[in-house]
Amino acid sequence: MAIFKKIHTWLEVRLGIDDIVDKRLTGYLLPRNINAWYSLGSVLLVIFILQMVTGVLLLVYYVPDADKAFKSVSIIMNEVPFGWLIRMCHAVGSNMMVAVLLLHMLSTLFMGSYKSPRELNWLTGFILFNLVLATSLTGYLLPWSQLSFWATTVASNSAGAIPVIGPYLVEFLRGGKLVGPPTLGRFFAVHVTLLPLIIASFVGLHLFLLERIGVSSPPFGQQETKSTWTGDRFRYDRHSNGIPFFPNYLLQDGTSILIYLAIFSAIVFIDPYLFFPTTAFIPADPYKTPAHIKPEWYFLANYQTLKVFPSEVIGLLVQGVAMTFLALLPFIDRGKERHPLKRPVFMGCFVGGILLYFAMMIWGHFS
Amino acid sequence: MQTNSRRTFLGLCLGGLAAAATALTAYPIFNYLAPRKQTSGEGTVSFPESDIPPGGAKFFDFRGSTGVVIKKTNGELVALSAVCTHLGCIVQWENVKQDFLCPCHGGRYTPEGIVISGPPPRPLPKLPFHVANGTITVG
Repeated sequence: MAIFKKIHTWLEVRLGIDDIVDKRLTGYLLPRNINAWYSLGSVLLVIFILQMVTGVLLLVYYVPDADKAFKSVSIIMNEVPFGWLIRMCHAVGSNMMVAVLLLHMLSTLFMGSYKSPRELNWLTGFILFNLVLATSLTGYLLPWSQLSFWATTVASNSAGAIPVIGPYLVEFLRGGKLVGPPTLGRFFAVHVTLLPLIIASFVGLHLFLLERIGVSSPPFGQQETKSTWTGDRFRYDRHSNGIPFFPNYLLQDGTSILIYLAIFSAIVFIDPYLFFPTTAFIPADPYKTPAHIKPEWYFLANYQTLKVFPSEVIGLLVQGVAMTFLALLPFIDRGKERHPLKRPVFMGCFVGGILLYFAMMIWGHFS
Repeated sequence: MQTNSRRTFLGLCLGGLAAAATALTAYPIFNYLAPRKQTSGEGTVSFPESDIPPGGAKFFDFRGSTGVVIKKTNGELVALSAVCTHLGCIVQWENVKQDFLCPCHGGRYTPEGIVISGPPPRPLPKLPFHVANGTITVG
């Protein structure tokens, strides 16, 4: 142990690590009534790291060429030792990431944490949500199966409903008139370099804002700190008699991460094909559209919305308006009250929105 | 001291669990990245003798490496490993000079694989071969 002490002292003299730990970890106080929902951000951070690691590992054997992509994925699944494990972790992880992201957003909405002064935190989180959906969509094409080919055809086609530039936009996204080898090239580049870089920077920004503004206190449980924010100048939301982030809340983060990993491993090892329809196992055939092409569960509501409206432009417009409303929510909802039971209008929209989303999703699944 | 030993014990348990989890993660990743086993470990390579013109050479893959058979102007055959013993480049057969040149650092070998000049520390290893019915079999 003496050697560790010596290394610690050596580093301490040069970098002042203790100071950082004291200020940013032990001295960083969170509200005393903070609950487990606040740890979903840490869970997402772990999922993102897992996706990065498994993604880099898949790149070792994956070949981004329309003629070889499906074969290379088959080799990863059947021949490379533990290739199935790496791929299943990546594929299941992407679905779980969207699920946990939705929970993270819902808890933020429910507890009113998006409210002033945390507008920027909500906005960066909302952008992150869209970036993750974009990553899922671009990654979906890469195995070059019937499922991925036709899902991409349908998804990229919806951009065509945009007036004037629509048809050209579709061609630009695909790199040709139809989904084909050029589409694979551009989706691959976007999926493995551009989006991960942008997501990583937004994660950094999101965390910086969290640290800077301070963690919001949940609107229920014992209330021992009042927000000091008055809006005249920057003030960090300190919780003077709260609990330290390290080690107290990090333990909650660890617990949530382990619960997540348990659910994640259960799916990977017991039902890895939970999110895979049979068309995921057939190589892409541009001349044969399979019956009942449907998107992944998290796009089902959008898919059904497009089908419900007679005109595609209106269908897209409705979704655009809904997403813009959600993005700008903290600028629209200016009330100071954060307790869900004291915000009846918000709660009505909240529950109604969730029910509508699930209804559209189930309708989309069975239609 | 009671609480202290309890803390140490729990710390050891946690450390053990962390080590087990690390091993469980590292094992699949290591196997995933480890080089695949070469099946051509003990194989032989055959080709017709007429493939090699007099004074010429034929290069071929041999057990995951490169071999060469040359036919000297007097018709005698020599089979050698074509991997330069200096830093592992593949030597070239120079038809005009009737010797091997390694282009990387100018090592020269006789048709028998013996070093003439340059940095190579050892001669090129000889490969076992036999000729039957006009077919050369190396290995």
